[in-house]
Amino acid sequence: MAVEIPMPRLSDTMEQGTVARWLKHEGDRVAEGDVIAEIDTDKATMELTAFEDGVLLKILVGEGESADLGTTIALIGSEGEEVPEAAPPLEQREGAAPSDTGQREPEPAEPVARPSQPTEEVKASPIARRMATDAGLDLRGLAGRGSGPDGRIVKVDVERALGAEGVPVAQTAAPGPTPATGQTPASDEVIEATPMLRAVAQRMSESKATVPHFYLDAEIDVSRTLEVREELNQALADEGEKVSVNDLVVRAVALALIEHPKFHRSWDDGKLVLHKSAHVGIAVALDDGLIVPVLRSVEQKSVREIARESRDLAERARAGKLRQSEIEGGTFTVSNLGMFGIPSFSAVVNPPEPGILAVGAAVRRAVVEGDTVEIRSIMAVTLSVDHRATSGAEGARLLASIKRRLEQPLLLLA
Amino acid sequence: MAELTYREALRRALDEELERDDRVFLMGEEIGRFEGSYKVTAGLWAKYGPKRVRETPISEEGFVGAGIGAAMLGLRPVVEIMTINFILVAQDMVVNHAAKIRYMFGGKVGVPMVIRTPGGAGAQLTAQHSQSLEVWFAHVPGLKVVAPSNPADAYGLLKSAIRDDDPVLFVENLVLYNVTGSVPEPEEDFTLPLGRAHVAREGTDLTIVAHSYTVRRALAVADRLAQSGFEAEVVDLRTLRPLDVDTVVESVRKTNRVLIAEEGWATYGVGAELAARIGRACFDDLDAPPERVAGAEVPMPYAKPLELAALALEDKVEAAARSLLAECGLVGSA
Repeated sequence: MAVEIPMPRLSDTMEQGTVARWLKHEGDRVAEGDVIAEIDTDKATMELTAFEDGVLLKILVGEGESADLGTTIALIGSEGEEVPEAAPPLEQREGAAPSDTGQREPEPAEPVARPSQPTEEVKASPIARRMATDAGLDLRGLAGRGSGPDGRIVKVDVERALGAEGVPVAQTAAPGPTPATGQTPASDEVIEATPMLRAVAQRMSESKATVPHFYLDAEIDVSRTLEVREELNQALADEGEKVSVNDLVVRAVALALIEHPKFHRSWDDGKLVLHKSAHVGIAVALDDGLIVPVLRSVEQKSVREIARESRDLAERARAGKLRQSEIEGGTFTVSNLGMFGIPSFSAVVNPPEPGILAVGAAVRRAVVEGDTVEIRSIMAVTLSVDHRATSGAEGARLLASIKRRLEQPLLLLA
Repeated sequence: MAELTYREALRRALDEELERDDRVFLMGEEIGRFEGSYKVTAGLWAKYGPKRVRETPISEEGFVGAGIGAAMLGLRPVVEIMTINFILVAQDMVVNHAAKIRYMFGGKVGVPMVIRTPGGAGAQLTAQHSQSLEVWFAHVPGLKVVAPSNPADAYGLLKSAIRDDDPVLFVENLVLYNVTGSVPEPEEDFTLPLGRAHVAREGTDLTIVAHSYTVRRALAVADRLAQSGFEAEVVDLRTLRPLDVDTVVESVRKTNRVLIAEEGWATYGVGAELAARIGRACFDDLDAPPERVAGAEVPMPYAKPLELAALALEDKVEAAARSLLAECGLVGSA
């Protein structure tokens, strides 16, 4: 009897997967644990492993083709087995979660406590689910906070989340934004957003809608940082390695996070998750998109290790070759637009992380030092913070700690 | 249009059908000289005489059986049973004969008979005389069960029931007899099809499904809810069998919430049947499980306060509606 291999859920937010490459062909023997295909999710390219021994009888979704979660993409059976004429169609099997498809979800390299880690159990009324699906809204953002019994998400919750108007809730109805209902001019083109852009849109909307942000600005004198970096790079040149300003920032951030546990924690629906290790995400711009690979336990890594790893992650991010475990579990994010000459900006918190540091370009400026004016390199940073997780004072302390390390960069090497 | 009571509308339907088709005749207890316990047949004995308006002894099994025989032989009897409570002694005739004959005679013989009978409670008639047993009959293949909620529907549906070629249990309601409403003039030959529900009030937030007198309660509740900013849609089933699930489903797909109200007991009732059908047809449309509100599951008490407590009156229907809306996060202003 042939076993159907469904499109597995390889990321929290994927709704569809695209077969990037079949590593086994029809007729090939496969053993349990063999990688049989590579699947592009909304975020990364993931390996699909076989969960049975047998023969790959039939490929139903070819390379470059997409399929909804749970759709049968291949059949594995015994040698010589007839593929049923009416091979299982590209049917979508509702609720085909990895646990019942036999496909293993990749384990994160290291278990990390993730607040608002989406559980599979999102209690929602059927119409709420349907509306959310139609609108591309991830109900996990509302899980447990619906207006129905035991926090069941109901239609009005989805309508509010979507900014619908005219919800007849006399006491609580908040005027929603007017939906963009304007006609699209004929000269414009409408295309489907890629899964990644949809995931970014969803995550950022969820963050701005549910995370109360506040922002702290600081100017950091990075003159010494730049000198130290220069010296380091000269020393490393023989080994073909290089350290960026951002690597130093990431190191400073990680050490500051460990120093400030009252900042380094995430809000999880009335609970606080205290992070013991600094997993720092680095926002990487793609051709048309954005991804945040995570450097793990940065406080335990040298600047050189950070440089090596972050370059590797960024390269693989651009090539779409990140593993799911490399893009989750962050406890803080650094976003740097300095290379674009942006002097300062503020960024959107990447939930459930408590904060994100927006790093601008280092600019040479005239600075008053005592009674003289000196030319110094100044880098403006803005810390965006989830006010549920921590407070302004803690944010200020964290920022001071980052500043101190970057202004006395030998601390980064100690 | 004429303004008639429910009782007068029924009488006019009977009169017109007696006039139109001489195969039609009436039969029942005290329906002639006494003009019926609820005066539905007033004037008809005088007009059509004892051959077409036949008095019977207190013998429901006998005269329902006689009606079946007459119907099989080509007449169109309209049998009155004084209240639905007394149909129990004729149950074998209704369920085992009237409902089965077309099937057992290979479709060659039918029973074009109407049994008219009022049900309902609210007049301190106590346990044996206050029942809503229509669902017992709606359970049986081979029967049609009609339960109009207003004079025009009573008029149009009774005429269709008499013209139908199969047995129809036509359930009237004691409390509705004096309710007035506009009824089309005789020359319009107005009829309503059996097996079609009717949206009695349009709304967007909640569907209330009901039949017979409970439709009036549902409409009153819809008015109250409107004062809180909620628009309830009221679906009047009109016919319990065949059941017009499509109209209900269409409404629930629009409102996403449904309350089924009935005067009888909830267990195995209209609400039970509809909840199952809605659960299947509207699963992805529902914002909360279908809810039911019905009479208390006790024999109807005699004492007025207890009778009021046992009935699914407006307050109870309204409370159920508000609770369902609240379950969906919709809490209106007071």
